Amino acid sequence: MHATIQKPIEEIVGFLRPDEKVFVVGCNNCAWKCHSGGQEETEAMAERLSRRGANVVGYTVPGPQGMSLCKLDHTRKVLQEDYSEQVREADSFLVLGCGQGVHTVIDATDGGMVHPGCDTIFGGETVSESEINEYCSLCGECVIEFTGGLCPITLCAKNLLNGPCGGAENGKCEVDAERDCGWILIYERLKAMGRLDLMEPYQKPKNHARWSRPRSLKVSPHEATFCSQAGPITVSNQD
Amino acid sequence: MKITELLENGSFVVTGEVGPVKGAIPRDASFLPPCAKEAESLRGQVHAINVTDNQSAVMKLGSLAACVRLKELGHEPIYQITCRDRNRIALQSEILTAFSLGVDNMLLLTGDHTHLGDHKEAKPVFDLDSVQLCRIASELLQGKDMVGNDLAFKPEMCIGAVVNPNFQPLELQLMKMRKKIDAGAQFFQTQAVYDDRVIDDFVEAASKLGRPVQMGVVLLKSPQMGAYMNQNVSGITVPQSWIDEIGSVDKTDRKKKTAEMMGRFIRRHKSKFQGVHIMPLGWTDVVPMILEEAEVSVQQAAA
Ligand code: SF4
Ligand code: SF4
Repeated sequence: MHATIQKPIEEIVGFLRPDEKVFVVGCNNCAWKCHSGGQEETEAMAERLSRRGANVVGYTVPGPQGMSLCKLDHTRKVLQEDYSEQVREADSFLVLGCGQGVHTVIDATDGGMVHPGCDTIFGGETVSESEINEYCSLCGECVIEFTGGLCPITLCAKNLLNGPCGGAENGKCEVDAERDCGWILIYERLKAMGRLDLMEPYQKPKNHARWSRPRSLKVSPHEATFCSQAGPITVSNQD
Repeated sequence: MKITELLENGSFVVTGEVGPVKGAIPRDASFLPPCAKEAESLRGQVHAINVTDNQSAVMKLGSLAACVRLKELGHEPIYQITCRDRNRIALQSEILTAFSLGVDNMLLLTGDHTHLGDHKEAKPVFDLDSVQLCRIASELLQGKDMVGNDLAFKPEMCIGAVVNPNFQPLELQLMKMRKKIDAGAQFFQTQAVYDDRVIDDFVEAASKLGRPVQMGVVLLKSPQMGAYMNQNVSGITVPQSWIDEIGSVDKTDRKKKTAEMMGRFIRRHKSKFQGVHIMPLGWTDVVPMILEEAEVSVQQAAA
């Protein structure tokens, strides 16, 4: 999931020009889980903006709970059919969702003016209703086979691939005394599994071309093509 | 001169350390920048002098510029290069540049995280880690860049690396040390150590790895500094007994006291190492006293 937090209301108000007619769009999946753009927060945002003198022409959170704003065909249908009048009237769209959701609204409104209502902070695991943690940095070439499934790119503050720096103290990272050193976590886990051998071999430098931006993916039921600066890579899910 | 040559012929290698200034070196050739003044007290006392690379992620004059100035003044610099601020293109280029400007020794490190320094919002690079950097430096010495292109002329330098004996679990740090050796590290300097047990446990394991190791010591200048290091310097612990001992004398006597403490400590452990690396944090004038107390002399080998 894409974790998001709302921007401060003053910053959002500052995005709007006097008399700008704004329509607020939330997301019923990730932003709902983050309480940054579900039904309640979107409704509240419309009200908070109105109270500060903004001209809010409407709001919606497309689809039932669990529906992602970034699913373009659905969002387009909701905005263009169910809310066609308000959407036509609006000068701009304030999006309470991640950056992908913001772009979905641009597409769904055929190039409408948008404002980001949130900061998109990371892709994470929903550990509980009140906690989301980052375990993957979406690097494009997964190396966690040799680390027992714990990502050194993400859990180590320096993205080190061949073991820890010298900075950890009491098991904590030199950058943050509250956070575990990723490499000590990896070591302890592999040790407990009797697989320290996995981390012995040299790990070559990362191929950053696969981590280039922007990247894209073409998918079909049996084949996918990942496009990055490393060139198109086509993979099959069949034998 | 490569310090590996000294290590190979069995010398107990003594190195010091200076940090470049925050600022440029004036064009006036008669002006001695602070690191060169500090190096002056080390003349004839040490074999070589480490020059730190934006240490603690605090932005300073480049390590290489300071290395070149020290070399011009007749010192033997060890060029510290970290992975924090440069990608793989810049790192390789820096090594070629350093050799071209007369530098013979490099010490390759991961580097402190940007978050610890004075530019906390900087993008930390860490494109390579220190093991990968050792390997790539070895490839450069063999005349190839890391993607296999031939170099028109290859650098001839020696490759040093760092290990932290204080690290727990030690086995994990030793795994990294082994990887650095496989990647071409020819000698090691340890992070600051203050603890007899830490030294003995480390030496027992590291001596089997077959690379010379210099014991690293940081001058303890005051009890406040000890407390500060325990609070803020990652990966290093100063035992309370050290803090108490340096605190037992007046400020004016602290240089003498630290020389006595560091010297005694080095004397006790020097036979377990192939050299000592003294990090004086500006108090380079104390180094001769430390070495005298430690009964270590470089007279024969030093310029
Ligand atoms: S190695 Fe890359 S893809 Fe795998 S978990 Fe880490 S960041 Fe994600
Ligand atoms: S202390 Fe551990 S997690 Fe932090 S940068 Fe060093 S190796 Fe990575």
